[in-house]
Amino acid sequence: MSPLEGGSRPAVRSGKWERAVYWLVPPLLCLALHWRGFTSWFRADDFAWLGTGLYDRNFHDFLVSIFAPQAQGTIRPLSERAFFMLGFSLFGLEALPFKMVVFATEFANLALVASLGARLTGLRWAGFLAAVFWVLNSSGIEPLGWTCVYNQVLCGFFLLGALHFLLRYVETGERRYYWWQWAAFLAGFGALELNVVYPAIAAAYTLLCARRARYFRGTLPLFAVSLAYAALHSAVAPVWKSGGYAMHFTGSLFGTLGTYWTWTVGPTFLFTPYVPPKWALPAGIAVVSAGLLGFAAWKVHAGGRAALFCLAWYLAVLAPVLPLRDHQTEYYVFLPAIGLCWLGGWAAVAGWRAGAGRRMAAVALPALYALMGVPTLLETAQWNHAITMRVRTLVEGVAGIHERHPEKSILLEGVDTDLFWNGVLDRPFRLFGLEHIYLAPGSERRIAAHPDLGNIADYVLPADVTAQALQHEDLVVYDVRGERLRNITATYAALPHEGGLPRRVDVASPLTGYLLGPEWYASDGDHRWMPRRASLRMGAPETPGQKLYLRGVCPEEQLGAGPLPVAVTVDGVALPAAAIRPGAPTFELEFALPGQVAGKAEMRVTVEVGRTFRPASDPRDLGLVFGSFEVR
Amino acid sequence: MTNTKWRERRAVVRLCCSLMTIALVVAPVGCKRKKVRVGATDEETPKMMSVLNMGDPKVEPQLIKGFHGIEAAAWRWTEKQFTVALRPPFGAGTKGARLTVKLTVPPVVIEKLKNVSLAANAGGTALPPETYTTAGDYVYVREIPASLLTGDSLRVDFELDKAMAPSGADIRELGIIVLNAGLESK
Repeated sequence: MSPLEGGSRPAVRSGKWERAVYWLVPPLLCLALHWRGFTSWFRADDFAWLGTGLYDRNFHDFLVSIFAPQAQGTIRPLSERAFFMLGFSLFGLEALPFKMVVFATEFANLALVASLGARLTGLRWAGFLAAVFWVLNSSGIEPLGWTCVYNQVLCGFFLLGALHFLLRYVETGERRYYWWQWAAFLAGFGALELNVVYPAIAAAYTLLCARRARYFRGTLPLFAVSLAYAALHSAVAPVWKSGGYAMHFTGSLFGTLGTYWTWTVGPTFLFTPYVPPKWALPAGIAVVSAGLLGFAAWKVHAGGRAALFCLAWYLAVLAPVLPLRDHQTEYYVFLPAIGLCWLGGWAAVAGWRAGAGRRMAAVALPALYALMGVPTLLETAQWNHAITMRVRTLVEGVAGIHERHPEKSILLEGVDTDLFWNGVLDRPFRLFGLEHIYLAPGSERRIAAHPDLGNIADYVLPADVTAQALQHEDLVVYDVRGERLRNITATYAALPHEGGLPRRVDVASPLTGYLLGPEWYASDGDHRWMPRRASLRMGAPETPGQKLYLRGVCPEEQLGAGPLPVAVTVDGVALPAAAIRPGAPTFELEFALPGQVAGKAEMRVTVEVGRTFRPASDPRDLGLVFGSFEVR
Repeated sequence: MTNTKWRERRAVVRLCCSLMTIALVVAPVGCKRKKVRVGATDEETPKMMSVLNMGDPKVEPQLIKGFHGIEAAAWRWTEKQFTVALRPPFGAGTKGARLTVKLTVPPVVIEKLKNVSLAANAGGTALPPETYTTAGDYVYVREIPASLLTGDSLRVDFELDKAMAPSGADIRELGIIVLNAGLESK
């Protein structure tokens, strides 16, 4: 029975060594098991967040960078925007300071888990074991090993911190703790949307453990804030109707809950690096689940309602992701698992004290839990570390190439699936000012496609452009497959290259200048302006029915006078009229191509806009910003 | 306010001031740093080779397509179609050269496909195919006329008439095993 239910307070008298063990073992174990995570580098989404605010020109841009909804409508100013912006401005692409912040936060979380566990159960060592069990859980790999998942760790800190202050408030009656709880709760919205569940946690605690109406009433204003946040969030962030982030409020909720339960009690994705008999993993999960739920039932029967609170924590923190039927992610159980870890710590200590038979279970079940989760943790952390090291070799190698050949564009040969999605997709090179980094023609054959994540073709330099650039010595080629990037320009230049004009022209690239008419302005790095009219040559469609796509940016100044007419001709044939309408700054125009150009070696495309503008800072008459032209 | 509380509050203020001072000192130091470390690169440009040993990772740029990763530091599985680029050996522009492919047809290929034929196309000229009906080690040899060997490199496209489709046991398309491929002087 917890102290708040009339049980004894956890013993706090302990020796210096015992205190040291109590507080230091969980973080040290965490550091030992997640050492690969601590020493890993950046990858994938990290680079997108590191680039937050890269192009900010004024305070308005800064505010947009910090608060505007980003990927999947997320608004996480503390854990993503400010964390990466400040970190990158201070330390650049040094990962260690980021990791130190992540692990320092997690160490604070472990202390809070231990402290809260002890106070919830009335058993000091139950809190200790809860922290240890949480460390052993395999769902911690990404929050601790992948910097961009810091939002989970920081959200945990605010949820646990708010609950800590609520318990202090209930224990002491001192009002200041109530307000500290509010501060932690409000700050939590800067970490992760998941923070909206805190009022449910607080209400569950006050109902089940504190059992005084005034404490419960004190949680009601928290609900108002969560509801207001949810309303605001759904107003400013897109709601996904389809795809991975679409919500499904159907019977699938229970299936998803079942999946997440197995990932919490057993290894995430039910993946183990060893090959046990088929029955072993389900049996192990069933045995640990039976132990946990059996203990909870027994405790509740005996009046220990804190056991229900542990389960309530699990369900409340997991609830927001249960409707995401098609986007099941291993770290979604990272924070919910804390509830089961409290229950497990409690069961282990209670079992240890309950005689020989249960003592055996108190040792065997945690051992089984560790046996299922830790190998997965170590193996996956190793994979994560290895890929970040490959990404580091690539990114720092490209920086080295640029230092050696500052005037040349860079072509990368040998990029494979893992390296592309983790080290190229999010354009890490722009973080240090490099825009013209390309994949060698044919790279797309080596990279598994994920159209939902990005288009590989956007990164590949067409064969004809490559050949031209090599001929003019505008390009250096490096093989990325070894421990160092290797200059293979001479070898690569001697290889036979496929001919034919490209069907995708990146107009911004300085290498495609030979395809552009004389009207175009010079490349501005990652974009190129056109005046009122501009033309280019490109590959014609192989077969009838293919379309021409124009992608670029239309500045607000151009749309002040209404939609901007865009006229396109192909080999002198006018295509149906189009217009860019006010709204998003980027545009994509799609044109059906005339049948007679199909099969031709090349075609000439002209684009003309209805008007131009001249900004105060630029003497040029500006039409549109490109972008790319693509036939597909 | 008691002395204890006052002391606590002073300690907190001191801690905050210290942290802000550290931040102010560290921030400019950090800002002056380069945004990224400059990694070392291998600038010793490898020469294009006439003979490609499949166990040598340095030949990868000349394996245009259709090869899987190195196995046993010696060989590679191919797909149904595979292509290499080879440097014509010295004098080949006048005397011609010999295309040589050391390969293995593994028993599993014969078990599943019964037999397999290998054909090649060098610089646009078709070379006669060869059929293998039993598992074992073979050398595919074809004469290459001098007229095809005047450039910096010769592209050779190989094609098998059949290959093992990806399966649960191996998600790769598997053709034959190649140990080396090259152009030899006559």
